[in-house]
Formats: sequence, structure tokens, C-alpha cells
Amino acid sequence: MNAALFFNLLLNGVIEGLIIGLAALALNLVFAVARFPNTATGDIMTVGAYAGIAVQGLGISSTVLQMLAAVVVCMALCVVLYRLVFRRLQGRSMLAVLLASIGLAFIIRAAVFLIAGPEQRVFQIPLQRAIDIGGVALQPSMLWLAVTAFGCMAVVFAVLFLTPIGRRMRAVADNRALARTSGIDVDRVMVALWLLTGAVCGVAGMVLGINTVVMPENGWNILLPAFAAAVLGGVGSPVGAIVAGLALGIVQELSTPFVGFTYKIALSFVALIVILAIRPRGLFGAAVKVR
Amino acid sequence: MTLLAIEQMVAGYGEIDIVTGIDIAVHEKEIVTVAGTNGAGKSTLAKAIMGLVPRCRGVLRFCGEDLLAMRPEDRIKVGVAYVPQVENVFPSLTIVENLQVVVGVQNHAARIAEMLDLFPALAARRRVRAEALSGGERQQLAFARALMTQPKMMLLDEPTAALSPNLVAQVFDTIRKLPAIGVAALVIEQRARQSLEISDRGYVLDSGKAVMSGAARDLLADARMADLYLGGA
Amino acid sequence: MLSYLVAIAIIGGIYSLLTLGLNLHYGFTGLINFGHVGFFALGAYASALLTLAGLPFAAGFAAAMLIAALVALPLGLLAIRLRDDYLAIVTLGFSEIIRIVITSEEWLTGGVQGLPGIPRPFGGLGVGGAEYAYLGLVVALNGLAFLLVHRLAASPFGRLIKAVRDNEVALVSLGKDPVGVKIRVFMIGAGLAGLAGALYAHYITYLSPEQVIPLVTFYVWMAMIIGGTGRNAGVVLGAGILVLILEGSRFVRDLFPGVLDTEMASIRLAIIGLCLVLFVLFRPRGLIGDGVER
Repeated sequence: MNAALFFNLLLNGVIEGLIIGLAALALNLVFAVARFPNTATGDIMTVGAYAGIAVQGLGISSTVLQMLAAVVVCMALCVVLYRLVFRRLQGRSMLAVLLASIGLAFIIRAAVFLIAGPEQRVFQIPLQRAIDIGGVALQPSMLWLAVTAFGCMAVVFAVLFLTPIGRRMRAVADNRALARTSGIDVDRVMVALWLLTGAVCGVAGMVLGINTVVMPENGWNILLPAFAAAVLGGVGSPVGAIVAGLALGIVQELSTPFVGFTYKIALSFVALIVILAIRPRGLFGAAVKVR
Repeated sequence: MTLLAIEQMVAGYGEIDIVTGIDIAVHEKEIVTVAGTNGAGKSTLAKAIMGLVPRCRGVLRFCGEDLLAMRPEDRIKVGVAYVPQVENVFPSLTIVENLQVVVGVQNHAARIAEMLDLFPALAARRRVRAEALSGGERQQLAFARALMTQPKMMLLDEPTAALSPNLVAQVFDTIRKLPAIGVAALVIEQRARQSLEISDRGYVLDSGKAVMSGAARDLLADARMADLYLGGA
Repeated sequence: MLSYLVAIAIIGGIYSLLTLGLNLHYGFTGLINFGHVGFFALGAYASALLTLAGLPFAAGFAAAMLIAALVALPLGLLAIRLRDDYLAIVTLGFSEIIRIVITSEEWLTGGVQGLPGIPRPFGGLGVGGAEYAYLGLVVALNGLAFLLVHRLAASPFGRLIKAVRDNEVALVSLGKDPVGVKIRVFMIGAGLAGLAGALYAHYITYLSPEQVIPLVTFYVWMAMIIGGTGRNAGVVLGAGILVLILEGSRFVRDLFPGVLDTEMASIRLAIIGLCLVLFVLFRPRGLIGDGVER
């Protein structure tokens, strides 16, 4: 592998890793506070991407506005899911909530299929000349995707660590009963959590859609690598999710010349299984204490 | 004035009643001990007062307001604060964050400053996460967190369990000073003798019922009490 | 019409075997297996490839069970050390790896083109006769499997299984080995799924990676939930209702002739999703349970 190819793959890997990282971040937010692996995360992302496509269909070519629509739609969807299903399942077994989230994932994907059809859509991004750095083609759009992803992560961390509602979220994640007896309205914290999760899903769905194409299966396909990243980074840990997502994305891309296109997807799982075999509690141990 | 009024309370999990008919009263600026052996229903009583058990009926009032009609997160607002036996701080939050996160405080900054004055050991480590604190520091933080709302009564579930003897004395000393700042205390304790020594009154639970009650002094002097619940020394 | 019913019964019988295996995993030991379709795929491809290579059907079926059970061994060894949520994700990942390998290794599996012309037994009995004979085989194997699970549950080993589920700590203190029990149960359940895969392959006579997607795993989960976890009688009921839902959605087409294939698949997906959510919300103990979670 020559240097130019290596760096091109590395760049792709960083973008891919950021997408996985964002999805894993959405997973881990829910996991830390609501305590279940939300398998509907990927399909919520898909809805976000289609919201962007719908706005584009209205003749609005501003990516910022499309992104805004994606974020708003995903936030609304997440709150609806919480109100209709997840809130009713509080106190039930993890498996019950997990199965419900799978059911919701199926319903959402089927709805996307029925409304938008199976064919691929693309975001019309104005072509810009790639910046050539010694044979490494750097697309300006890639740069923007990276900036957006990092921006989204920064916002999440700011909310979590600099705002009262973020502090309450962390308190509920630590100990729900103690949070309640400290006067924290858990229901309101959960709504805030789902709004935040929705926002991340919206951005993640758009970044994924812009980076590749928009298909109904997009979200489900990214879900498994995102799970791998979430587990590797320590379930419930936002920082771990991003670091592990980046690592997985880069490893996947760099391995493509050796293992081929189809096996690169399997790679994150092999990594997951190997690491869990050595460390059953994940790479960074238990970031979240499970009661 | 009566703060907490419990009459014929029955509470439990699933199909099993752990608390099977208890009457307890706590008055203003009073320290009351609830003693009893393991499994007598002491912890369930505390959780029932805070709304953390699935089933609870009977009378449960605080300052005349019906606690049973309130969600757990609203009970703190009528003036009752709770320090659970274990996991009584938020481990991933710093000391200051543990105090900031409490809802229903008029002026957070001023109140936090007061709390750090009250517990100087915490002041020095205000940016440290609670998980890094020692057992004694953690207990102080739990007290400070509960005192944030300027409660009328503190509900303390085995505050000295798993503490070393000199820390136990410290905790009882803190509880003893509560009435002076206008706070009553309902102390659920296995170390009945030490707790009664600082209390005004006491109750003894057995199998989910109050089997004895009276002035702390009288309970300490009671021969039956000494045999069954106070242990040797 | 009758032949259609026979076809539905055969598919129902295959799902019933799958559900029985999953029920053994979750209902009896609490292991959350989200990769059941992986064992099904292993069995299907193993038996298909071996019989295509000229081996007898019996060898294919035996190999299907054996391979699925053997693959379950290392997975089970890993699984029992993991938390529930990790286990769910790892098993899901396992079944996806199986699917990716099937997709990629075209020389062996035909890749996305699929594996056509898988032999079907009872060819000598004519078209109708072969169908009935196949149904007989499916029913007989189901009967044997139920007998096996029933005997297992009633045996000292079965009491161990229940003890593992109810109180692992007490069991360890008695000097029993819950790990070994769980692993054996995991392997047996996987073997049943492998057998179901072989039955499927030789009935449909065509395999492709599209048939072994994770959705199949959740079909089986749904059947188990409908029937009530841990209850073997419920397995047949659950599998039956599942097949009615899957096949019944075909009739949507008769009502709305314009519906496309892809739309049909989506409608089915939505129905399954809706059933999962509704059952978890309102009937977690299954259709014949009392609606309260255990």
C-alpha cells in the first residue's frame, strides 16, 4: 500500500469512524440514562436523512436547512417513541425494552420503505475541487462533515457537563432513585435525553446520507458497527463511544485492501468478539454501574 | 407541631408485605430512632416514606400533606429529605455537582457555600468526583446533599452502617446537632443504643410492626429492650 | 388450497423447531440469543452443500445439527461470561458474520446469486405425495425434538437447568457446574435450529443470504413471546400464529392488487414490529399468559 492510498483510506476511515461514533454516542446516551440498548437508533437516523431529502425535494438546497429539518424530525420522533412506548416500559426487564426497540426499528424502517420507496436517493452537494495534498484527495465536503460531527459531539458534551439539565441527566444515569428523592423530575429528564438523542441521530443520519447515499437500510447497517463501538468504548460512556467509533472506522477502511469490501463490515464484530473474550466488560470497563 | 404522621402503614414488594401496620410520629426539632433487627422492615419503612416501594397504604402525612398522593420527586418539596443507607451520593458527579443537582433550593450558590462551611472536609475537595471520596467524606456529602433544601426533617437510613467506630461517633454527633438548625431527624438504626442516646424518642420494629415505643431514656432503661434489641454493651 | 395448507404447515413446523430451540436458550436458561438465524443458516447451508455433493439426506441433516451445535460451543463459552445486553449484541453480530461469510464465499455458497437446485427427498412419491411425506418428516422431527426437550426438562439435567435459571449461586454452593449446563443447553438449542435450517433448505430447494437476515431471528422471538417463554406447548401456538401472520399478509395482495413485492415485504416487517411492541407492552407473558410479567 503506498502512502497516498494509505492516507486516502485513513481519511475515509475518519469520516466513517465519525459516523459510527455519532451513532454509538446516541446509543450510549440512551444506555447511560434509560439503561437499554436502543436498536431503533439506526432507523431513527434513516428518518433524519429522509427528512433532509424531503427538504431538498422542496427545492431548498441549503445543507444547513436540510440538517436542521433532520434534527427537528428526529427529536420529535424520539420524544414520540418515548411517550408512546419507552416510558410505559420503565421498570420492566432490559429484554422487554430491547425487544420493543427492535419492533419500533422494524416499524420505522417499513414506514420509510412504504413512504419513500426502496430506491437510493442522494444529496446534491455542489461539486468542489478536491484539495490535492501530495496525491491525497481531500474533498471539502469531507472536511465539512468532520467539522459537523465534531461540532455535534461538542454540543452534546456541553449539554451534559455545562448545563443543569445535563447534570440532572448524569444524576439519573448514576442513580435513578436517588435522583427522584433529590427532587429531580425523571420524566422531564427523559424527555430532554430523547431530544438530545434525536438531535445526534439527525446529524448522524445526514452525515451518513451525504457521505454515501440515502437508503432505507442505511441506519440498520450502521447499527451493528455502532453497537461494537459502544461496547468497545464502554457501554454508557459518551467519550468511549467516539474514540471506539473512530478506531473502528479507521481499522475498517485500512483493512479494505486486504480483506475486501464485504468483510470489512465483519471486522468490527470480530474485534468486538475478541475484545469481549479477553475483557468481558468492554475495553474501558464498566463506565456505567448497572444495578 | 407534628411533622411526620404515619398511621397503620402497610407496605411491601410484589405480593409480600414487609411493613404490616406501623404508627410513627415525628415532631418538630425532635430526634426519633427506629430500631429493630435485620429484616424487621426498617429500610422498607424508609423507602415507603419516600415513595420508593411499589405498594404502600395507610396514612402517611407530612406537615398535614398527604405524601401518598405525591410522586417521590415531589415529596422533598414539603420538607422531608432522605439519606439512603447505600448509594447515597451520585458517584460520577463532583461534590459541588452533587449539591447543585438538588431541585427546590432557593439560592444554590449561597446554600452550597453554607454546606461547605458546615462540612469543611468537603470544601477542600469540591471538584472531586464523589466516587473518589472516602466512606466518611461520602457520608458527609450525603448529609450535605439532603440538607440543601433546608428540610424540616431528615430521614436517615442506617447512617452509620459500614463506617469505622470513630466515624460512627462523628455521624451521631452531626445528627445530634440537627435540631439546633431547625431540622428533625428520623434515624433508622441497628446501633440502637448509640442512636437512642442522642434521641428524644424511639420505636422498635419487629416483623413489620412497632412492638415498643416511648421516650428514648425509658427504652434504654427497659430490661426487655436490652435483652432483645440493644445487644450487650 | 390443500397443498397450500400443507406448505404452510411445513413452514410452521420449521419455525416451531426454531422456536423450540430458542425457548430452550431463553425460556430455560435466560441466555439472550439474538443470533438464532446464524445456527439456522449454518444448518441450511451445511446440509444443502453436502447433499449437493452427493451425500445422503440423513448425513446432511446430521451434519446440520452437528455443525450448528459445534459452532455454539465457543460462542456459548464466551456468552456465559457476558452481561445480558452484551450477549444480545454479540449473538446478533455472530449471525451477521455468518451471513457475511455466506455472501462473500461465492465459490462455496454461490454468494448473493444463491444456491439453487438443492435436492428434495421423497422424489419417488410424485409431487403431491412428496409434499405429504415432507410434512410427515417435519412433524415427526418436531415430535422427536419435543420429546427430547420434555425428557430433558424432566430429567435430573432438566432440574439442573431450572435451578440454573432460578438460583445460580445456590447451585454453585451445591457443587454443581451451571456453566457446563448452560453451554450444553445452548448447544442443543443451536442444534435444533440447525436441523430447522436443513429442513428449510431441502423444502425450498434454494438458499440465498437474503433468507438468513436478522429479521428471521426476531420472527422466532416473536413466536416465542406469543406462546409464552419457557412453555413448550406455547411454542407450537406461537409458531402457528407467526406463520399465519407471515402468510396472511399475502392476502393483502388479493385485496389491493397493485401492491408491489417490496411493499409486501415492508408491510410484513411493520406487522412483525407492531406485534413485538404490542406484546411486550400488553401481553409480556404471551397469548395464554395472564398478562403480567414474571
